[in-house]
Amino acid sequence: MSNPSDPPGAPDPNEPIEESVAGAWRPREPGGGVRFHPGWYDLDEAGRLRAFDAATANRALEAALDPEGLSATARAVLRRIRRG
Amino acid sequence: MDDLDYFWTEVAAGDRDAFARWVAGAEPLVRRSLRSFAAVVDAEAVLQEALLRTWQVAPRFKPDDRPNGLLRLSLRIARNLAISERRRVRTVAAGDDDLEDAIDGDAGLGDRPPTDPMLRHVIVECRDRLPERPRQALAARLEAAGAEPDDALAERLGMRKNTFLQNFTRARKLLLECLEHHGVDLRSELA
Repeated sequence: MSNPSDPPGAPDPNEPIEESVAGAWRPREPGGGVRFHPGWYDLDEAGRLRAFDAATANRALEAALDPEGLSATARAVLRRIRRG
Repeated sequence: MDDLDYFWTEVAAGDRDAFARWVAGAEPLVRRSLRSFAAVVDAEAVLQEALLRTWQVAPRFKPDDRPNGLLRLSLRIARNLAISERRRVRTVAAGDDDLEDAIDGDAGLGDRPPTDPMLRHVIVECRDRLPERPRQALAARLEAAGAEPDDALAERLGMRKNTFLQNFTRARKLLLECLEHHGVDLRSELA
């Protein structure tokens, strides 16, 4: 979140974390399960919601750019399935 | 929306391509159903796990006479996972009623096919107009498709991670603006 003392237009210091959490990459458990993104724990509730909304937009853009209409989330899941 | 159970027979038989087509239609609604949990669980992680579990249980799924039975099952899997993860992280979630409303309503799932050729044409045109660095960041994320963390992608492009993420943010902003300029209001479709 922006600090009130920041000049107008100053970058939000949390934004890179939110953008990272809005990506589809997630670490894996040793057994293959999905873990939370490490940056997610560093966000406050408002930041988590913004990250969720950014992820929703990202996935829609990814699917629209993909010839098969698949987002990075879909690709990540299908990759796990193909690896067994 | 279309009845995604159209793919069920093939999915239940282990057809991964059919499951990919099912996921292309189901993912946006399952994701949206998790919004009321987004402040207390990592919805992306829950969503990926829920979709994987849907694939695993699909062979045992028995459709009823209502459409989108497999989607409803996936929504329940996602909800239960979110509740379980909420307990694990020991925080307070939004009311479950909000999530039930989202599931029962099937609200707002766009009817626009994910492979809408007109949308794809416009967005490709918009992507090609992006400045170089944001276009590179977008391409890196698209190519990785969730397989690599951002620091690895940034390093490959010779950027600091924060610079990479700022370029990606800029790419999304410019893409959405370009789409709006072409009459595609993706923001309102996602709202």
